[in-house]
Parts: sequence; C-alpha cells; structure tokens
Amino acid sequence: MTARGAPSRFLGAALCCGLGRYVRQLQRLQLLFSPVAPDARGARQFVEERAAEFARGHPEVVLYVRNQGGAAPVLRAEYLNGTVREELIANKTSEEIAQLATKLANQSGLDVVRIRKPFHTDNPSIQGQWHPLTNKPPALLVRGPRLAPPQ
Amino acid sequence: MNKNILFLLQHFRGRKNRCYKLAVRSVRRAFVKSTKARKEKKRLLRALWITRIEAASLEHGLKYPAFISNLLKSQVELNRKMLADLAIYEPKTFKSLAALAQRRRQEGFLAALGDGKEPEGIFSRIVHHY
Repeated sequence: MTARGAPSRFLGAALCCGLGRYVRQLQRLQLLFSPVAPDARGARQFVEERAAEFARGHPEVVLYVRNQGGAAPVLRAEYLNGTVREELIANKTSEEIAQLATKLANQSGLDVVRIRKPFHTDNPSIQGQWHPLTNKPPALLVRGPRLAPPQ
Repeated sequence: MNKNILFLLQHFRGRKNRCYKLAVRSVRRAFVKSTKARKEKKRLLRALWITRIEAASLEHGLKYPAFISNLLKSQVELNRKMLADLAIYEPKTFKSLAALAQRRRQEGFLAALGDGKEPEGIFSRIVHHY
C-alpha cells in the first residue's frame, strides 16, 4: 500500500489510558446469529458454554445476544469512541469465537491503520522551542547605525 | 478486484483515477516506487537532520564536521536524529553540546601544537566502562 493511498494516523492513547487507571475501551459486544442456520453452530455453542464465563471475566463489557434472521452470523463490537467493528463468526468453533471476543475486548477503538510515528508527546519542548531569535543577542546590546550612542 | 485498486488511487491525476486499464498500470508503478522509496527515505531523513544540525551549530560558531567529530571524541554518542530534535526543541542543551565540542576542539589543538609540557585537557580524558 502506498503512504497516501492508504489511510494513516498518529499514535494516540484512547482516553489517556496511560495516565489514569486502565479503562476498557470496549463498550458492548453484540452476538447476532440465527438459531437455525448451520453456520451459526459455533455461535450457539459459544452462547451455551462460554458466554457466561466471558461476561463474568469482563465486567465492563455488556454482552447482547440477538436473533439475526437470514444474514450471516456476526460479532459486533462497539467502542467508547464510537467505532463499530464487525467480525464474521460463520463456521467457527466456540473456542475461536471466545478468542476473537477476548481480542476485541483488549483492543481500543482506534483505527487499525498505519501509525506514522511510534512515539508521541503533547509537550515536545521543555526549554522552549527554537525560534529565530533564541540565539541572537538582545536588542540593547547590538550596536547598529540606528541605535543612539549611550550617554 | 476493481474496488480494491480504485480506492487506492483516488488522489491520482487525470483518467488514472477513473479508468481501469490506466489505473492498473499506474497502481503497479506506485507500488514499485513506494518499495524503492523506503531506502531513499532513510537517506533523505539523514540528510535533513545533517542540514538542521549544521544550521544550529553554525549559530553557535561551529562547523558541522568539527561539531560531530569533537562530540564523538568526547564520547557523546548521540545520533543525528536526536541532535536535530535537541536543536529544535531544547536549544539550551544544544548550546551546551556546542560549547563542549568547542572546548574539546581547543584541547585537541593544544595537545597537537603544545609540547606536552602543558597539562592534558580535562575533556579529552576517555571514560572506560568495564
């Protein structure tokens, strides 16, 4: 992918997670599958066996189970900054779905695109950023033709 | 297949961003150029850092080769990227580094021209980390 053709973003922490306590960025997980379709078998097994465990292990995340009807079974994750990520769970075993769910729970909602720099500061300069007058002597010391001679 | 390519080249000029046949050719060239440019980028960035360090050290009265060689001799192993960042964001630190390089330079001259009777310079001593 080219640099300008593909989207990119700067490094950032969602909700300043490094400063205060860790806040889980996943808000809710929606399991959308139909109770009859053959490719949703793994999803049904996940709901029977592991969904309660997962919900107990991740108390900040709300787990919804919904009837999807004719469409493909999907695991939809919604994050605190509003991004919605949908992952197909058709023809997956319940273990794989559990792994997917933990992966989504550990992610933040920031886009999965190229990160331009692996570092970021809000305050890059402590001594004051350079400007053209930093290393020049102050005006009163400069002897030029315009300055009146000291009396 | 068309959609994958067409999203990549929306910022291209002319019919390359609309017509499939032309787009395929230009996308291939764009990929080739972007792979080759990864080596060039390292060279370009290093040249940029060198220009910035040269400008900053000239403000303090030192030329770039003198600055870099004397810093290395005083065992300050900062790379050009950090030196350029210091010159932009921490001008006082850079000024002290330039002063260090200048002092080491003077001591080097004394050691070369003097006859060994004068005491060896303080900043020319090498620290051994064992």
